[in-house]
Amino acid sequence: MTTINIADTTPVPAEQIAKDLLPQKFGRRGMIWTSVLILLFLTGIIAYFRQLRQGLVVTSMRDYVSWGIYISNFVFFVAISLVGSLITAVFRLANVKWATPLTRIAEIIAVSAIVFAALIIIVDMGRPERMLNLFIYGRIQSPIMWDVIVISTYFVISLLLLYLPLLPDLRILINSKAPQWLKRLYRFQGSFWKGTAEQFKISERSITILCIAIIPVAFSIHTVTSWLFATTYRPGWDSTNFGAYFISGAFLVGSGAVVVAMYVFRKYYHLEKYITEMHFEKMGRVVVLLCLLYLYFNINEYMVPAFKMKKPEEAHLGGLFTGEFAPMFWFAIVVGMIIPIIILLFKKGRKPLPMFITGIMIVVGAWFKRYLIVTPTLLHPFLPMSDVPAAYRHYFPSWEEWAITIGSLAGALLVMTFFVRIYPIIPIQETISESHEEE
Amino acid sequence: MKKNKYILLLSLFVLAYVQQAAAQEKEVVKEMVRLKYYNDSNRVQYLLIESLLRKGNNVAPQQNKAYELYLDSKDNSSLIAKVVTDEAGRAKSFLPPSLKDAWDAGAQHTFIAVEPGEEDAKTELEVAKAKISIDTTSDEGTRSITVEVQKYESGKWLPAPEVELKVGIQRLGAVLSAGEEETYTTDSSGTVTVEFKKDSLPGDEKGNIVLAAKAEDNDQFGNLLITKTVPWGEKVKPDDSFFHQRALWATKFHTPIWLLFMAYSIVIGVWATIIYLIFQIIKIKKTGQSVS
Amino acid sequence: MENKKTSRREFLAATILASAGMAGCDGENSPFTPETEVALTGEKVKLLSVKGEVIEVDRAFLKPVPDLPRLTNSEERKGIPGKKFVMVIDLARCKNLKKCQQACNHMHYLHPGQSWIKVHSMQDGEHTAPYWQPTTCMHCDEPPCVKVCPVDATFKRQDGIVAIDSNRCIGCRFCMAACPYSTRVFNWETPALPEEVAKQHYSIETSVPQKRGTVGKCDFCPDMVRKGELPHCVSACPNGVFMFGDMNEDTVTNGADTFRFSELIKDKAGYRLMEDLGTKPSVYYLPPVNRNFPFESGLENQNLNDHDHH
Repeated sequence: MTTINIADTTPVPAEQIAKDLLPQKFGRRGMIWTSVLILLFLTGIIAYFRQLRQGLVVTSMRDYVSWGIYISNFVFFVAISLVGSLITAVFRLANVKWATPLTRIAEIIAVSAIVFAALIIIVDMGRPERMLNLFIYGRIQSPIMWDVIVISTYFVISLLLLYLPLLPDLRILINSKAPQWLKRLYRFQGSFWKGTAEQFKISERSITILCIAIIPVAFSIHTVTSWLFATTYRPGWDSTNFGAYFISGAFLVGSGAVVVAMYVFRKYYHLEKYITEMHFEKMGRVVVLLCLLYLYFNINEYMVPAFKMKKPEEAHLGGLFTGEFAPMFWFAIVVGMIIPIIILLFKKGRKPLPMFITGIMIVVGAWFKRYLIVTPTLLHPFLPMSDVPAAYRHYFPSWEEWAITIGSLAGALLVMTFFVRIYPIIPIQETISESHEEE
Repeated sequence: MKKNKYILLLSLFVLAYVQQAAAQEKEVVKEMVRLKYYNDSNRVQYLLIESLLRKGNNVAPQQNKAYELYLDSKDNSSLIAKVVTDEAGRAKSFLPPSLKDAWDAGAQHTFIAVEPGEEDAKTELEVAKAKISIDTTSDEGTRSITVEVQKYESGKWLPAPEVELKVGIQRLGAVLSAGEEETYTTDSSGTVTVEFKKDSLPGDEKGNIVLAAKAEDNDQFGNLLITKTVPWGEKVKPDDSFFHQRALWATKFHTPIWLLFMAYSIVIGVWATIIYLIFQIIKIKKTGQSVS
Repeated sequence: MENKKTSRREFLAATILASAGMAGCDGENSPFTPETEVALTGEKVKLLSVKGEVIEVDRAFLKPVPDLPRLTNSEERKGIPGKKFVMVIDLARCKNLKKCQQACNHMHYLHPGQSWIKVHSMQDGEHTAPYWQPTTCMHCDEPPCVKVCPVDATFKRQDGIVAIDSNRCIGCRFCMAACPYSTRVFNWETPALPEEVAKQHYSIETSVPQKRGTVGKCDFCPDMVRKGELPHCVSACPNGVFMFGDMNEDTVTNGADTFRFSELIKDKAGYRLMEDLGTKPSVYYLPPVNRNFPFESGLENQNLNDHDHH
């Protein structure tokens, strides 16, 4: 079989498109998937209640490693959420038409990830009940305040970017055979959409403005997140490269996540006609480019300090290259970047299944990469670690930390799962109009 | 050579460990109680009791420990006070007026600290009555401080020789010596004269500094202190401009202007766009409703 | 009992106490500037003077140390006017006795296992001499921890102290990551405190009681300074390693020896830690030359966990 692209497939009638893409009830596998996620999420909630009762002592964080997997997971969420701006905004402004079926996947990944990024930060706080202090006593000098502002802004923009293109689809949904309670929801959200030319005009314009606005905001959220580290003096964090390094990594992991989601939705909802091999082929090229870009920034990030080997950097880099973190470090580099590059450079590697596996490798590698950015640095302070209990010198997350972290990941997946149950994951209206254009 | 060093180091550790273990086994507990007598400017006098507990190598203050303090003899009529120590293991007491006759009766007194219900004194302190005075002279650019200590003996004030004194400038928690020496000792006339050599020492806004002479834990007299304010310092105006500057480390009320400008212009720009877009949605809604 | 507020100056004029009075229990002169206010109980107590006269003082001064009125949060945040605290640590005198640490832990009721003062075993290079280096909070003039605090829970006072308001801290621990001296500790669990201490109102100046989910660190003991006394570590050290004072008085003391700060730093070539970071610490170190003790004498006191991390 040669390459398939949309032009090869026979045009699909609009009714058929609507029928194919309308949200469907969970099947048996969907039910199992959802139940497992709910179970994981609840375990996380239980662990968090333990943490609320006893304090952060239930974690393995201590005075030296004062930030652990909560923070690395937060960075992971922020990173993955950046893809919304790439697939939707950058591709749209660059007039990349083939990405249209992927925009909503990217946007819902962005929204759910940013929600859980915010939640995981609250989990990491020693005094979550004092969160309002951020608004009462907020100091704009603190990068944390910048992060608070920029994350809430990005959340709102992402939500708008999810909502506006959904309006035409809501009209289709209102007229579909959905259950009453869902229809009530659709009507509440979009009964005013009549599909008039003027409405389309305003909507189109608004989406364009959003796409322009979201790019600097998206760059900001991850740059500011990198500044949480780069504004300190610590070896491994004290780097001017950090903003770009974080953003390139974010685009990579987000694209990896989109590839995984594409494969799953395509397989489960039989969307082969809409998410075609062409999409995997093109995404594969994008991902390999991003991989190379991230690899470049990694070389930049480790090569320069390793060349100089300043004393504080020496212990840190030694731990990563050959020390206690070496297995994880080389896993993140090799499995998270180098093997994906090798796979994706081949045409056969850009088929759906290898792409799916590569996507998982990228996402898993990226999660551990975030861990490597946060923890090893904290274990190498400038002054020796003295006069502390032995447990303060090492860090391995406690079960509560794992449960909460896994629970948050499950939560983000749950949001996506429920979203596809309620809304079409591929924009119906846009797909119809684009297929008409092609005719 | 290097190997030897490691062996030495290792054996030291082992030795240290063994010693520590041995110390822990014994863990001698010893109570240390001390009385101190203070005479401030020949007027107010008070006693300070300090109670510490030594456990092995560790000395910790004893909190909430009760003591009875007596003058000269342990009977009810000569009770000075019943005191309880604070978290630093210390308690302070003045002499009550009821002891006036007993105090006037002699030139030398013994303070006794007893634990309630105990017979034997926990500690005792003998003190002879003394007074201290300070005087300054200043001629031809030479400033000097003269301190005199007198003791009360057979109804008369006599010079007290051989009293070790700190003579200098009263500073936070200490006296900075006015001359070269750390301490000075009174001569047979009970006096000591110290040339003031601390030039250009910061004083207050008017250039005032407080001179002080004190005897610390003197065997005969306890602690004596006398002070005198003189305009011998540099005039220093407290400068808190540092604290009031706009800086990244300042409070939210002193945010640097450039940061405020940057932050607010970005936030306002982005949120104006968002609000505009929300109005666009409302516009879509209105046009939709007008169609139907 | 009604608290009357009298300005210190009026108070001094009004009472018969000499100015050297009762402010400090060891009879030091009061460090107060005239603006500082002292609340009196109004209740007079008669006592016997040195000369055998009966005189009157306020009951407030009968306590081991005068009961000063509780300062308001904004007063505690502003600090003591006209002061600029400084510390000098003489490495030549340190033999890792850790009396400083014990006293500090005791007086601040720190949770077992945690310390604000740490004594590091240092060796800068392969062939350089090892030495013991106690570290407190550096109370930097460009404090990186304060820069990053999102809620003004840690702040710089006009007397130079970097303090923490545990009632405001949200526990984000950014300050801990930002501090290059690793001086900050976190209350991961409810600190083990005696009940009467746990009930106390938190004071920025005493840093007591520590609260769960908030950050703590060395506070330079401004409460002691207000009483005219030295910080706990300074008075606890038998070797006089720590010297404390007011930069505006150009004097530092360890209780026994007192020096002009500027001369001491000049004569002994004092320096600050990590000067290159631009944090401008308020703690100066005197190099470990002409030592009072050999390095090895401190080994027996080393934390067992630290042995393999020389």
